[in-house]
Amino acid sequence: MSAVAEPQDQEAPPSTPIMHSEDPRDVGWVVQNIPCQSACPAGTNVPAYIQAIAEGRHGEAYEINRSANVLPGVLGRICSRPCESACRHGWPGNGEPVGICNLKRSAADLKSAGHRITERLYAPTGKRVAIVGAGPAGVAAAHDLSVLGHDVTLFEREQHFGGMLRYGIPEFRLPRDILDFELHNALRLGVELRRGQAVGKGPDAVRVADLLKGHDAVLLAAGCMAPQPLSLKVRGDASEPPGGCPDVEHGLPFLMGLHRGERRSVRRRVAVVGAGFTALDCARVAARLGAHEVTIHIRTAEEYIPVTKEEIFEAKREGVRIKGLRTPVGIVLDPEGRLSGVEFVQNRLGAWRKDGRRQAIAIEGSEFVEPCETLLIAIGQKTVNDFLDIRIELDQWQNVRIGEDGMTSARGLFACGDFVTGPTTVVEAIGRGRLAAQKVDAWLMGKPRRKRVVQIVPIQEPLRERAFDFIGRQHMPTAPLHDRLGKNQLEVELGLNTGQTTQEARRCYLCNLHYQIDVDRCIYCRACIEVAPRNCIKLVQGVEVQPDGTYGSLREAREWNQVGAIWIDNNECIRCGACFRACPVNCISITRNEFVEIDTP
Amino acid sequence: MSAPRHHVIIGTGVAGNQAARTLRQREPEARISLLTLSALPFYNRYDLPRVFRGVHDWREFLVDPPAYYEQQRIGLRRCTRVVNVDAKRKVVMLEHNEELPYDTLLVASGGRAYLPEELSEYQPLLDGFGSFEQAMAMRRKLPDGGTVAILGGDMIGLDLARTLIDTGHRVALIAGKQTFWPHQETPEQRQKLLQVLERMGLDVLEADDEGGIASIEAGARGFATRRVVFGSGRECPADVVLPSFGLVPSVEFMLGSGIGIERGLLVSPTLRTTDESILAAGDVCQIWSGEERRYRFYYGWKNVRVMGELAARNLTGEDETFEPAQDETLHIEDGATIHSPFWEYA
Repeated sequence: MSAVAEPQDQEAPPSTPIMHSEDPRDVGWVVQNIPCQSACPAGTNVPAYIQAIAEGRHGEAYEINRSANVLPGVLGRICSRPCESACRHGWPGNGEPVGICNLKRSAADLKSAGHRITERLYAPTGKRVAIVGAGPAGVAAAHDLSVLGHDVTLFEREQHFGGMLRYGIPEFRLPRDILDFELHNALRLGVELRRGQAVGKGPDAVRVADLLKGHDAVLLAAGCMAPQPLSLKVRGDASEPPGGCPDVEHGLPFLMGLHRGERRSVRRRVAVVGAGFTALDCARVAARLGAHEVTIHIRTAEEYIPVTKEEIFEAKREGVRIKGLRTPVGIVLDPEGRLSGVEFVQNRLGAWRKDGRRQAIAIEGSEFVEPCETLLIAIGQKTVNDFLDIRIELDQWQNVRIGEDGMTSARGLFACGDFVTGPTTVVEAIGRGRLAAQKVDAWLMGKPRRKRVVQIVPIQEPLRERAFDFIGRQHMPTAPLHDRLGKNQLEVELGLNTGQTTQEARRCYLCNLHYQIDVDRCIYCRACIEVAPRNCIKLVQGVEVQPDGTYGSLREAREWNQVGAIWIDNNECIRCGACFRACPVNCISITRNEFVEIDTP
Repeated sequence: MSAPRHHVIIGTGVAGNQAARTLRQREPEARISLLTLSALPFYNRYDLPRVFRGVHDWREFLVDPPAYYEQQRIGLRRCTRVVNVDAKRKVVMLEHNEELPYDTLLVASGGRAYLPEELSEYQPLLDGFGSFEQAMAMRRKLPDGGTVAILGGDMIGLDLARTLIDTGHRVALIAGKQTFWPHQETPEQRQKLLQVLERMGLDVLEADDEGGIASIEAGARGFATRRVVFGSGRECPADVVLPSFGLVPSVEFMLGSGIGIERGLLVSPTLRTTDESILAAGDVCQIWSGEERRYRFYYGWKNVRVMGELAARNLTGEDETFEPAQDETLHIEDGATIHSPFWEYA
């Protein structure tokens, strides 16, 4: 470590030498070695909150979470969990990833009833910011901007806040009392709420141009709420009735209508096309609405769809079936104009796409028909920006173009979230909302007021025991199957109890712990290598330094006379502490290295 | 002179064993490693119902004597779980963290009994019949004249049911969509087939007619040890409950390898995956059918044996395509006997 700066806003016991660093080697170490945090679009400090949970400090864990995303109890239920896909515990040979998302929920569920949230408030700035859209991105930005001292007004077209969280996600996955509680906490710092208020064109809408006149900055976070169209040929004995077949509907309007309180029904056999959370939600809702047979049809295969394995499992338990390698090409209508089937073409798997998903290639002449009476199309969403009453630059996908400073081509008009990127996930939207808040604040105040540094704290002894590596993943208890169907409000996942939560938390390797060998004091006795459970301590000739100043790969020594140092390979290290305990000369040190935000001078 | 190739075969069922046999014939110098999770060498799983006819010695089920593998210089590694395949590095990762490099890999890991997700919470109350150990456990648990409730059916379960009836046990068949898996029967055929099963002595219950299976519960002391409870409130007591819903391919260890997977490993008619060094054979693979224009499974030991041999030939220079070797139709003979090609095994 180097380039040490004095801590500016962290309280610590006087005897603890906390250091802050902006050295690229330290920054690079955190990015490379804490894969869960690096994978989290909101940058959640996962090891820190899991350690707090393991030590029974659930309220503190909740606050650590909340400092990165303002809706921990919500995300703990519905997050797409990119952190778990990256978790070192899930790497080959290490077993299953830590149940990070379930632990996030546990922190929210198990914090004390009298828990008080912590906000580090800035002085009022007198600046006024309007935010359009109260979905996850808009709410995250509103919270952060209000913490930073700005006066925020939040405009929402619907009658309630939450956007896709409220209108797109079924209650059996996200209870509305949890959502309301956390939204209220996020917006309670004086955010002015304007619900049922459209923005842009329209008779009762507030014009964006007027918002720009009345505010110092305007942030568009209108989300991505229009369904992606799907062209289907009509086959069968009848032509498609005017207005379309009543048995064919897009998944998102279907869910939104249901969650606005409108009546929705499905017929006996339901086909859902699509491979995301919306498709899965539509299928599970259809099962609850009384469908006898619900099938999700996907273009590739179950392995490649971007939803969690747990969601797939629960859907299957509820009777939903998944059929792969098919693309819908038509609908079959009976003589009354009602749906009797969907025509598909068989696919084969193609190469990997740049986004990490598999291509599906249609096989010519392989059309076939699957009988069904309701079709729900959930193949994705797109942004709509024709409501805007001002002209701004768009990109090639017709999304709003923003610059490095987060601003659109109109001065003072910012944009963020799915409205800019197209459809992503809730946690990505929250991450982008936070980032947008920082950029709006920097523009309003003339400079960034916060910066990210690596905080390095010495740790006296290992925080894990080797026995923790053999704890199996704790599985989420769920509501009995016979209680679920017909009850759209009954939450399926019940949450881990305290014991399960502690056990799961102990599984975390605490990748933020940095084990280092002081080469000057090492006597090369190999005691640490002897006790290492993996090939994690290496004799090396040297360590590559990459062009950006971060450490690269290790150059391992093959002969004794080539050894330049003994090095702990933090990629392999599972932070068991065996080397620390075995070292006869105490030349192994442990520090906790993690990102923190501090005020700029 | 180049070093002999290392052929690694995952699975010692009909396909894997046949592939090893053929590879040894075609490449006498090759190194062959046969990996299996089982504690036993290749044995005839189709013969397992014989445990109810007094055959309790595992050696009776072996297809080849234990010395065969040594004589053939086939490295048989038992109790070995594969957790991952790194196709780029051509390495099989084993559970105990050993990395086993290969030149060619044949995945013949077969299938395991499918348990529908809605029944998964009752797994501790259910028995299996997929291995010798499971068969013996069921044999010990089932009293003379005791009752087995078979959930679903499938041709493997029905084969066992024939033996159980024959040996004085009672069988309650809780029929569902997979009762005659892997056969695809029409509704009319299905009714006739169920009637034949009743005439054979099975108690047949249609799960859907009883409101589906609501739960499976442990019986009170002094009563049958298990109860299958239906939505209608009706109960079916049994000493053993055996789910029998067909097979699901054992492909978990191939996830992340880059090989195309739908339900099974997707292979061409020459049994090649998208990686030129990896082939698949047996119940684990879905083979492209040019005629039906879809990937499909081919079940039955004759098909599987042909696949094992074909894979070995194609790993050693040939480029032959798979031709099904087994009739898939289900017949009723004399109105009283079901004839399934899946029950024909040698």
